[in-house]
Amino acid sequence: MTRLRRAAGVAWVTADSAAYVARIPSGPIVVLTGPAAVIWDELTIDGDAATLTERVSERMSDVPPDADATVKHVVERLQAEGLLDRLGP
Amino acid sequence: MLNTVQAPQVEIPLGVRLRLGRAAVQAVADEAGADILHIKGDAVAPELRPVVRPGTDVDILARPSHVARLDAALRARGWTVYSTFTYGSPFGHAQTYTHEQWGYLDLHRFFPGIEADPAVAFETLWSGRIRHHIAGIDGAAPAVAAQAVILLLNDARSRRSADADALWQEVGDVRRSEIGSLVALLHAEVAFAAATGDLESQRSASSYALWKVITTGGSRAAEWRARVRAAPNLWQAARIVARAPAVNVEHLAHRLGRRPTRREIVMAFFARPVTAVVQFVAGLRERR
Repeated sequence: MTRLRRAAGVAWVTADSAAYVARIPSGPIVVLTGPAAVIWDELTIDGDAATLTERVSERMSDVPPDADATVKHVVERLQAEGLLDRLGP
Repeated sequence: MLNTVQAPQVEIPLGVRLRLGRAAVQAVADEAGADILHIKGDAVAPELRPVVRPGTDVDILARPSHVARLDAALRARGWTVYSTFTYGSPFGHAQTYTHEQWGYLDLHRFFPGIEADPAVAFETLWSGRIRHHIAGIDGAAPAVAAQAVILLLNDARSRRSADADALWQEVGDVRRSEIGSLVALLHAEVAFAAATGDLESQRSASSYALWKVITTGGSRAAEWRARVRAAPNLWQAARIVARAPAVNVEHLAHRLGRRPTRREIVMAFFARPVTAVVQFVAGLRERR
């Protein structure tokens, strides 16, 4: 099972439907809004990658057909930024 | 579809920036092996301040023997000194830094009003510390009673507000007793009395005049006289007197919005005694 978890040395604050995520101590601050903020919030609750799209979709009002691709793209970006680690295959 | 934006293209709320800043400072302190306690702002326990007030900067109290290493680590990690211990405040208790991501940081090496040796006082606060979770990062804050002491002493310095009165009135008897014991341990009786409106009970204390000036106002000359009287020993007093006539170059630079020229520093130097004399004469008139 693939799990996603916040990388070491990453701080985050959620406020007003946005997630502000930063590598510390130097930054920068990355602002996540819309589905990206929901994805981050879900990952702080449960890192199970397999159910992530489903959990995020339950919290969004308009779910596009390509929701899974969007979630994968956000996760890849977060990994590329060094904010998220992937554990497992 | 991908709603991610890198700051500073979007505005970051100040409260968010400061919380992330606290986490960043904690990370630097951990790297440097420096003990710090998060104080004031959003580090205050909800019991004392139900509505979070993030303030305008991050405040930390560092173990005095760790201040030098923390200072070096902060500078290495992008913090720039905005005002030094010497010129930041008349107490010389804090150094202010800025960081392009995190904003302002006040590094305290002691807290004004606490007259116990700074190292002993820090150890007292450190031994009772509680966990403070900041933006997903673990740090430490003083115990709730110690936070109350710090808030009250801080408020005394800003000439008392309804906040301090409310805090002191609303804490329960048990907490009030804890606060009283801690005030005694920290030798903070005079400032604490100033904070709670009972300063006259401390008339015989050497720091009474200082807190009288701070809480009720007075000329700069009166404040410096009081500081000399409150100094714990003659060497400290000599240092305070030696500092009194010097120009606060950092303050002058902030006022001008640029680094002052040598001529401006010299002019400011000669302007100060004149101001002091005028205030001293005014003080004499008040006493007639």
